[in-house]
Amino acid sequence: MNNSATEMLVAACIEFLQAYPPFDRMEAEALRFLAEHVRLAHYPKGAQILSSEMGVAPVLYILQRGKVRVRASGGAGNVEFSAITLGPGQAFAIGALMAQRPTSSAYVAREDVFCYELPADDFFALTQQSTVFSLFCSQYIAGLLKQSQQQLQLQFAQRAAEQKTMNSPLAVIVKREPVSVPAEASIRQVVELMADRHLGSMVIVDAGEQPVGIFTLSDVLKRIVLPGRSLDQPISSVMSTSPQTLPLAANAHDAALAMAMHGIRHVLAVDEGGRLKGVVSERDLFKLQGAGLRQIRHAIDAATSLDVLQHAREDVRQLSLTMLTEGGGAQEITQFISTLNDTVTRRIIELNLDRHDLYGIDWAWLSFGSEGRDEQTFTTDQDNGIVFICTDIMDRELTQLRFLEFARDVNADLDTCGFPLCKGNIMASNPALCLTLEEWEERFAHWVRTPEPQALLNATIFFDFRPLYGRFNLAHRMRLSLLRQTRGNPLFLRMLAQNALSVSPPLGRIRDFVTGADPEHPGTIDLKKYGVRLFTDAARVFALAHQIEATNTVSRLKRASALMNFSSDDLAASLEGFNFIQLLRLRHQHFEQEHGRPGDNLIRPDELNEIERRILKEAFRQARKLQARLKLDYQL
Amino acid sequence: MTWFSRLFAGQSAPGVALTTRQQQCIAAWQQLPAPDLRRSHYRCRYVVVDVETSGINVRTDRLYTIGAVGLVDGQIDFRDTLQLILASAAPTSEAATAAGDAVPAPVAGPQAVEALIAFLQFVGKAPLVAYNVPFVAAMVERVLAEGLGIEFALPWIDLEWVMPDLFRDIDSTQGRLDAWLTHFEIDSIHRHNAVSDAYATAQLLQVTIARGARKGFETPASLLELEKARRHLHQSS
Repeated sequence: MNNSATEMLVAACIEFLQAYPPFDRMEAEALRFLAEHVRLAHYPKGAQILSSEMGVAPVLYILQRGKVRVRASGGAGNVEFSAITLGPGQAFAIGALMAQRPTSSAYVAREDVFCYELPADDFFALTQQSTVFSLFCSQYIAGLLKQSQQQLQLQFAQRAAEQKTMNSPLAVIVKREPVSVPAEASIRQVVELMADRHLGSMVIVDAGEQPVGIFTLSDVLKRIVLPGRSLDQPISSVMSTSPQTLPLAANAHDAALAMAMHGIRHVLAVDEGGRLKGVVSERDLFKLQGAGLRQIRHAIDAATSLDVLQHAREDVRQLSLTMLTEGGGAQEITQFISTLNDTVTRRIIELNLDRHDLYGIDWAWLSFGSEGRDEQTFTTDQDNGIVFICTDIMDRELTQLRFLEFARDVNADLDTCGFPLCKGNIMASNPALCLTLEEWEERFAHWVRTPEPQALLNATIFFDFRPLYGRFNLAHRMRLSLLRQTRGNPLFLRMLAQNALSVSPPLGRIRDFVTGADPEHPGTIDLKKYGVRLFTDAARVFALAHQIEATNTVSRLKRASALMNFSSDDLAASLEGFNFIQLLRLRHQHFEQEHGRPGDNLIRPDELNEIERRILKEAFRQARKLQARLKLDYQL
Repeated sequence: MTWFSRLFAGQSAPGVALTTRQQQCIAAWQQLPAPDLRRSHYRCRYVVVDVETSGINVRTDRLYTIGAVGLVDGQIDFRDTLQLILASAAPTSEAATAAGDAVPAPVAGPQAVEALIAFLQFVGKAPLVAYNVPFVAAMVERVLAEGLGIEFALPWIDLEWVMPDLFRDIDSTQGRLDAWLTHFEIDSIHRHNAVSDAYATAQLLQVTIARGARKGFETPASLLELEKARRHLHQSS
């Protein structure tokens, strides 16, 4: 029926919407569809419009009049987000609507609110109909992704903020209210007060609260006990006059400098009026001194004992946490951990070389697995081996024995320094992994020629080798020979691809994620086995098929994309997916370790917030895409 | 005064002969069960009505246009609206033309009957809401009695009476629709256009039921009682 009333109200609605983005740019047809399908609802002041308890978001809300306060409810962290206020023309719950999930925020009317509401079905129809609107929604989601990462970093930033640095102003370092006494106070009063409050020092102030002197515990002995001074004398007779003061805005560095210059142990923080605000002691500054990257490297390189290296390893952990805080991506962090772990390993090798004479032999220390790929996380065990050259004049067995002895010591020292021994005995001290170049080449060739299950498993570990110490050119020769083998063997590549496809992304048909893979840990997903592995396995096949020497998954995918005609969007999407899973792993491991548990890779999707779940889902879809490419290439 | 006698005569003959189908439609409407006025505001349908007339005399002035907007479960759906043009009137055309809308030709005679039946079908037996019910209801009931020969006999809720009671914090001494619209910042598309005013009134109803629900007036019946009590109070004082 031709309804002139509807016509009039729809026209008015269109006119309203056109004043706001993205509706101002929207196709006329689509805008009309939107206006025809919304309903106008009213919410009185204080009413909850939408919250996570209400279940799956039922409609798209477009504010017509009034203001709505948005507050994040729930979510992964306990971080309080600043409340946002929405006004007319703004739409909300797009993320929840697109994901068909409850919203993660609470929307409350701040005053009488009128809202156009578009039912979910019509919303999806609209995204189909309008490219402008569809784009707007995906950009909105992308914005959420960025927000999520910022939130993630915020969580860490809070912890890092607690770890103050030498750049912190004194105002932050000073923890407690200063205790002070007037100059007339007796020595007895002062000493009693210090004993009572466990104070190391006492500041003496004048009537204007400006410090005039300081008296410390060490003064008791020299100035009171030894001279036999009466305790009834005023404190001013024994205090050190004109104490060092710094404004509150000065930082810890300034305080350290002042202490060094004047040979003192306390600096007084004062406000603009010169009034005492706090005491900074030498000990306070010691506690602040965290280690920076350069110091760590320097410490490692200079280390002569395992003790120092043990500390260095702890510093590496701390610093990677800081990187996580400062917004470092998973790629940078894992590479950073690998690099510093390499440095520790190299130093341990060097220290052991002092005791083992390997002079005159060409050899290299190899790392395999995640270490070989430069993708180490906070928990990592040893995966290493040795390659050496056995010349005609050398006895192979004897030489190997020397290397094995050396490797045993290195493995043990690495264990001491926080790299647990490998349960699968993938270590250089294993005679099967301490081989001559020819033996390695023969072994690789054998695996490639007869791709039985064990050989394929070996391929996933050992083909990601990387030299860490010694003659790097040996590893390069191994790589060239391996690539020669794989290039000429499509069957092997096909089998390797099949092996990579044996694990599928844990995406469910009905539920978002399949979490039942491990009966011992129901409700969890192993992000290593069912996450990272999907990417690394695919990347390995691409690399071996296309003569790519890199072992790092990101590098492999980047090079492969050029050779295999991936679009740059696809590449970026799969790298983002991979990095997101790695970031989740890092965060999870860090959390686990903070709580005294060995960091595993089992995350519970239920505990992620809505945005993270969405991104994780997308990450798994990217893994599925890579697998689809494998299927296509090898007709599996 | 013919309409008046017809109104009380009930099923007396309308001004125009009705076809069998039209009679069936009217009978079907009459058979509709009375609405349950004890359901929540947010679980029922209200129909908000406004009119355009030639003047304010319910006996002599002519009804030009009826605007009706449904409020279902507390929400306004633009598709659940109706505009009924019964006679041409300069203000309507101007307003409509200003909006750039197509102006439906005014209906008369047999077409008027069809339009009135459409209105009956649109309203069903939903409780009706208007601002200044004595005027609006009289105009609407008169035209229905004249055109279809029926007694409308549906409950009417008058926001002019209900709102001052629920919004005692708001100074509404002027008692004008405009004052309420201004207070709640409800924009009119074209003030004095029946549809536009019905739409604005429907938004006032949204505000009203929200406030009512908070004060314990959670159903159409409770609003009717509130209005009755208030009228009673005013008449006795």
